[in-house]
Amino acid sequence: MRKIENVMYQMNASRGVDPDNIYFVQVDPTKCEACGECEKHCGTGAIQAINEEGIRQVVNPAACMNCGQCLINCPYDAIYEGVSFVDEIFEKLKNPDTVVVSMPAPAVRYGLGECFGYPTGAYVGGKMHAALRKLGFDFIWDNEWTADVTIMEEGTELIQRVKKPSKDKPLPQFTSCCPAWIKFAETFYPDLLPHISTCKSPIAMLGPLSKTYGAHETNIPAQKIYTVSIMPCIAKKYEGMRPEMADSGFQDIDATITTRELGYMIKEAGINFKSLPDQEPDPALGMSTGAATIFSNSGGVMEAALRLAYEVLSGKKLENPDIKVVRTHEGIGTAGIKVPNFGTVKVAVASGLSNAAKLCDEVRAGKSPHHFIEIMACRGGCVNGGGQPLDPDVRTASLFRSIVARVNRKYRMRKVA
Amino acid sequence: MKDKMKMTRRVFIKAAGITAGYAVLSFNIGFNMTRQAWAAAKDFLGVRQKSVYDADAKVYKYRKSQDNPMITKLYDKKHGFLHGGPCGHMSHRLLHTHYYDRSAGVKALKAKGFKLAI
Repeated sequence: MRKIENVMYQMNASRGVDPDNIYFVQVDPTKCEACGECEKHCGTGAIQAINEEGIRQVVNPAACMNCGQCLINCPYDAIYEGVSFVDEIFEKLKNPDTVVVSMPAPAVRYGLGECFGYPTGAYVGGKMHAALRKLGFDFIWDNEWTADVTIMEEGTELIQRVKKPSKDKPLPQFTSCCPAWIKFAETFYPDLLPHISTCKSPIAMLGPLSKTYGAHETNIPAQKIYTVSIMPCIAKKYEGMRPEMADSGFQDIDATITTRELGYMIKEAGINFKSLPDQEPDPALGMSTGAATIFSNSGGVMEAALRLAYEVLSGKKLENPDIKVVRTHEGIGTAGIKVPNFGTVKVAVASGLSNAAKLCDEVRAGKSPHHFIEIMACRGGCVNGGGQPLDPDVRTASLFRSIVARVNRKYRMRKVA
Repeated sequence: MKDKMKMTRRVFIKAAGITAGYAVLSFNIGFNMTRQAWAAAKDFLGVRQKSVYDADAKVYKYRKSQDNPMITKLYDKKHGFLHGGPCGHMSHRLLHTHYYDRSAGVKALKAKGFKLAI
């Protein structure tokens, strides 16, 4: 185990293992205080008491969607990550025969600064790019660029479904960016799978594009390319290991790390983050727009898609790109957006898997009035993802609770005995 | 008159007590409200979300995906890597996927007696 940005990690870089059998998050029973906070944040009930003392465990990987909300809300540092590619990436960066590509997600640049003493949420995109170059990554192919690609693909798919819904491609269409949500739908709502956009997530698009388009643009053989996905998310580790993600002819994504692990790597390399200049990504697979960066927030994918759908459906220019009615701080939001020459586009946005279940039940009952539904597993979206630096209040406010929990635990143990 | 005075004193004390009580109570309510407002302003999630929308409005030159020159290049009808356009043949090969029914695992868990939230 290693401590990385206040979270414990098992340093396993799993290869050739079925990701369905991996515990990406698990509770250390020796640190668990039986407070039950993790259970409150679990949408599926995968984390639960396993004995009378109240010690929690993820009971089985089949029930865990790998979102990591339990981990970032545990007051006692009792929940750890089970997979880390950090050491393998350091090795690859030293190897002159490997072309190492970094692919940072939108939300990473709103959390990474916190590892270096910046205020909460500070935008550090430029310094992040500079730090990745300093670390020795050969290219920065920014995942925000494929967020724009996702909008082109998913927006077009939505317009096709709206114009001609069918049994294979029914309405409403669900977004497909969030890997915890996808596993959730596959696990608990398999009957709704035709409703989910067939588009891969932005990172699952950037993996194969790196090894085809990127290889072509740079004249580098695809087999030399090692792709590193950098995410605010633990569930992305599962997604990257899905065996079907190999459309480039190779495993599309070779390694996945979280924002916390990137912060750790920058510190380990002795880079002075604050003193770095602001830099741009490598443009061809890197240039991005505001529509891409808002993928970080609950409601952001919806807003970005509407910025395209509005113009295509109406044939008119959208003068003000702010579509504030779909911005959803937390929970469920619904809105109707009037589009000239079309009518009203009805949309719903939900974050948190228990909220997702409510919208899924509505669709299953045939009572959903919506065209397009965005789901993100983490409360408020990827900015609050399970792979982001911790909210310092979660741990510091716990001294009093820690004492209460210990007393309770002693009391319970006596009762059990 | 004397009776009335006595009553007044008693009433005064009673009234003073009640006033003091309400004063403390209302201070508490007022204080709690300020505390809530303060908590909302420093809400960790809200601060991060705001930073994202600020960057969208101020940092990025283009704000719609279709305006990104590197998107135009990718989908260029003549020379683009995805010249078939969004949802075209090449897109379907590389950028679209299908999903798998994974319900068997949780069904087995439930059969073993595990209670899940869904």
